[in-house]
Amino acid sequence: MKDITQHTIKVAEAVRKWLQPDNSELKKAIEQTVDERLFSFEDIKFQIRALKENIDSGQIEEWAERAGLGKNKHSVGEKVLCLHAGNLPLVGFQDALGTILSGADYFGKLSRKDPYLLITFLEMLKASGIETEIKYSTDLKDFKNLNADKLLFAGSSESVPAVKNELKRLGSISPETELVIRTAKFSMAYITNEEPEVITDLVEAIFRYGGQGCRSVAAVVSPIRFNNLKCHFQDYIESFWLKNPQHKKPPEALAYQFAYNKAIDRPQAWLDDFLIQESEEFPELDFTLHWIQGDEEKLKELKEKFGSAIQTIYTAGEKIDGIETEFLSQAQRPPLWWEPDGVGLFE
Amino acid sequence: MRVSMNAHLVFDRSVSFKEKALQIFEFQKEHNSVYGKFCKALGVSKVKEVHEIPLLPIQAFKDSELRISNIQHPTSTLFFESSGTTGMNRSRHYIADPELYKTSILKGMQQFYDLDDFVVLAYTPGYNSNPHSSLVWMLNVLIEQDKTGLSRFLELGKSLGSEILDDISSKGKRVMLFGAAFGLLDLIDLRKVELPKNSVIMETGGMKTHRREMSKAQLHHTLAEGFNLPKGNVHSEYGMTELLSQAYSFGSEWFHPVPWMKISIRNPENPMVEMPYREEGLIGVIDLANLHSCSFILTGDKGIQNEKGQFQVLGRWNPQNLRGCNFLIDQD
Repeated sequence: MKDITQHTIKVAEAVRKWLQPDNSELKKAIEQTVDERLFSFEDIKFQIRALKENIDSGQIEEWAERAGLGKNKHSVGEKVLCLHAGNLPLVGFQDALGTILSGADYFGKLSRKDPYLLITFLEMLKASGIETEIKYSTDLKDFKNLNADKLLFAGSSESVPAVKNELKRLGSISPETELVIRTAKFSMAYITNEEPEVITDLVEAIFRYGGQGCRSVAAVVSPIRFNNLKCHFQDYIESFWLKNPQHKKPPEALAYQFAYNKAIDRPQAWLDDFLIQESEEFPELDFTLHWIQGDEEKLKELKEKFGSAIQTIYTAGEKIDGIETEFLSQAQRPPLWWEPDGVGLFE
Repeated sequence: MRVSMNAHLVFDRSVSFKEKALQIFEFQKEHNSVYGKFCKALGVSKVKEVHEIPLLPIQAFKDSELRISNIQHPTSTLFFESSGTTGMNRSRHYIADPELYKTSILKGMQQFYDLDDFVVLAYTPGYNSNPHSSLVWMLNVLIEQDKTGLSRFLELGKSLGSEILDDISSKGKRVMLFGAAFGLLDLIDLRKVELPKNSVIMETGGMKTHRREMSKAQLHHTLAEGFNLPKGNVHSEYGMTELLSQAYSFGSEWFHPVPWMKISIRNPENPMVEMPYREEGLIGVIDLANLHSCSFILTGDKGIQNEKGQFQVLGRWNPQNLRGCNFLIDQD
């Protein structure tokens, strides 16, 4: 590759072209995804709009600049294997873009749960004439003997060994492969007031994508008791769901949890497709929000307790001593350079 | 009004398990307010089959006082607590009828062992320092029933002396050595002990400590080697504070429940549904000896079951696998 700056410009141009409203391939992919009930139209639209806003504001160029990409820092010639999860639409976009932006050759294992959207983006980049290699497949076997230099994926303590073993067996990775494995599971919010803007942002941070994804809020710490906010809060949720009907339905285990909460007299709110409960336990079930009455000290205690399972802690702007926070309004609209598990793509 | 239910029903062989389970279900639904509310919230009032009985998540022993209200007799103040660090929320199991637990322990062991043949040695903390440990209480019962007086709690940190083994052999008895996994490994570390070939090691769990983590198979291999016994003489006990009955394995990974205990493997996505044989899920236990607390328990353990009703424990169900972006080979 002759010039990484030129490469960045080409990539940015291709991404902008991909996000043009007249991109018929992307439209087709959206239709197919919705037709096959993989994701809701509203969630896809939201994701694409958030990406467009980031890219229109020059975030690709800024990301390259922040990372110091240039003649002396790039990944040209490296083979990067990305295993994309499929829990949200285009959840693999950041890893794919970052890999390609760095000049590395991209090998993407696409999720069978999100097989169409990212392809249109990758095809647009291929057509742009950039020099990096781009290969993708929904079958891991297609990366046999790849011997990647770097592997990116999100996993858990139980899934990671199985994934690593399979990749080693296939020769997709070797003992020398750099592994970037994300294990954070959910985010938390610290809420100190009931301002409409704050509650609107909170509802979006909790309920967008049905609460899926590690940037979604699964636990709220607040000096306000949930029961005092309950009715008010439910109005906001209903208003959100009117515009963004929840696509996925919770498993029966949620009704079981509801019954358990009833049995032990734990305060809760059953919202048909979602459960809010006052509990300090690890929020293990999807479609569940844990509400914890408490102050900054309680937040710190829970941060310690949940450890690396926490992706991000959001506030509506308040600073908390000793805790790094992000704006609640950015929960589902992270900048391109946000660092999952605190690890940047270019480190 | 004071309520009661005849504890003999639990062990009565003339009544089918199904009949006993359904009777106890009705009793507990009616008189255990936590379990009653749980069933009501699930919309379960009448059941015809055992598998239709809802299993209460085991953390109810931590989150509530799980017992029959207004119980007529007896009125023991005994309770067991799970181990844990200070400040940790522990499970508490109220024991209304210690005799029932005692019967369950002895009858349970007698299902698989002739207790008259054995001297019980317990390499665990003693009874006086652990009055709320259900395991220590159980060991105390086994020790007290031994008429030879040779059964005992062993002093921790001290190797197993040959005199005691000689005494046991001279009485024509066999050794049954109880201990948690890490405790037994510590005992081997102190000094290699050669137990008589007909001895049984009874490992009571506790696989993970801050310094050791090994598979069950590795553990049993190490114990067999360390005590110079055939691997088939290393047995395991599956029990916990929340249960008043135990299951045992005999040199394999399959546990055999006692007759008044029934295991089912439940679907974590819907615990009302049983998993097919040999498929992983949450271990559900119906322990009829939990007559005065709750007999229908959904544990936090992961396991599988075979067609004979035996089961394997595959570790703790890890809730952290459920949430977040998680790449899974078979799904993604």
